Amino acid sequence: MFSGIDPRSPTPLYEQIAARIRLAVASGDLRPADALPSVRVLARELRVNPATVVQAYRDLAVDGFVEMRHGQGTFVQEVPTFRRAEERAAQAQKLVQKLIEDGARIGLVADELARAFHTEVGVEISE
Amino acid sequence: MSNAIELTNVGWKAGKAFELRDVTIRVPNGSIYGFLGPNGSGKTTTIRMFMGMLEPDHGEVRVLGRRVPQEMPRIMAQVGFVPERPHLYPALTVGETIRYHSSFYDRWDQTWAEELTARLRLDSERRVSRMSKGETGKLLLLLALSQRPSLLVLDEPTDGLDPVVRRDVLTAVLDYVAESSATVFISSHLVHELERICDWVGVLDDGQVVAELPMQSFKNGIKRIHVSGAPDAPGDTPFVILNRSEGDAFSAVETWVVRGWQDPMRQYFEGIGATVRGVVDLDLEEGFVELLRSSRPNNHHRG
Repeated sequence: MFSGIDPRSPTPLYEQIAARIRLAVASGDLRPADALPSVRVLARELRVNPATVVQAYRDLAVDGFVEMRHGQGTFVQEVPTFRRAEERAAQAQKLVQKLIEDGARIGLVADELARAFHTEVGVEISE
Repeated sequence: MSNAIELTNVGWKAGKAFELRDVTIRVPNGSIYGFLGPNGSGKTTTIRMFMGMLEPDHGEVRVLGRRVPQEMPRIMAQVGFVPERPHLYPALTVGETIRYHSSFYDRWDQTWAEELTARLRLDSERRVSRMSKGETGKLLLLLALSQRPSLLVLDEPTDGLDPVVRRDVLTAVLDYVAESSATVFISSHLVHELERICDWVGVLDDGQVVAELPMQSFKNGIKRIHVSGAPDAPGDTPFVILNRSEGDAFSAVETWVVRGWQDPMRQYFEGIGATVRGVVDLDLEEGFVELLRSSRPNNHHRG
């Protein structure tokens, strides 16, 4: 779930971690009442500051994706279907934004990227 | 007490070759504070100041709310220190070294010392004189952690260690932080290592603090901006220009490196008739290099 967490990215690590968990909840990889790894275990596994994991969990709790139960751990909440769809759409949007930025840096315009995208997924572009 | 370490206008001079100039540092309680600087910038000297091993010519030093060096014994009982150069007795074995050190500390946790021995794959029968650099590094960390310090001070803890040992060392530190909420002060010139774990960064160059701020502000505030059509004298800028370089033979796009950037500042460029072609994020290492380049007198900065 956390492969490719990138400390060099301008996106803060806690946001990257929270985004992965949100996506896992949205796609059903994490089910309601599933326990998230403890702060200590996850910090250790990702080799990040425990405060970073706490921050990620807190943000998820504020969004209603998880519940932090004192002394027991952090558990996935029931998230309404529309909210999960929104989350998936938001993540897709972010990926595309990054693609467009990366493309612009090497001089590719949106049209060229769109064509490449359609070639890659095998869908005809309608004009 | 909101800061674990406080240096206020600390100055110290060693002949003509080197001095610390008005070093002010605030290490917030519970933070993991990365102390960056090139070799010879004064990182170890600064650490010696707050570890009570050198006395400043002027300025004030406090550790865990107590004055240095007056209250040093009480401070030392709560500070785990991994020095740059090992201070172990070569004739002792690992086990003997652990027992010897344990006698100095009230809060020593022998169970944990034994657990760490196993986890760091140290052999308690092995003589210190026969240990590799990596094993020595791990033993020093074990000694510092087993005293259950409120503040852990690591001076280049992973310098010269192989990647596997480096990972073991950092994992042990993070484990301890997770359960104890201790403050960690870690000096290193290995920038990428700190990027992952630190929430505060202090940068030292030539005996002076050139930056001290939360990691996220450090990373977000320094940007490389590609600009075209900017006048030679840009006037007052809402950000600090660290560096400005002209385009190459293929393009007229200049590259500016700026500090304190926020997106609304794009308007500034419109105001001077220039166009922003792109804003590029820098990682910690690039930001660090740019910061040092701009803090040195012979830089080519025109702004």
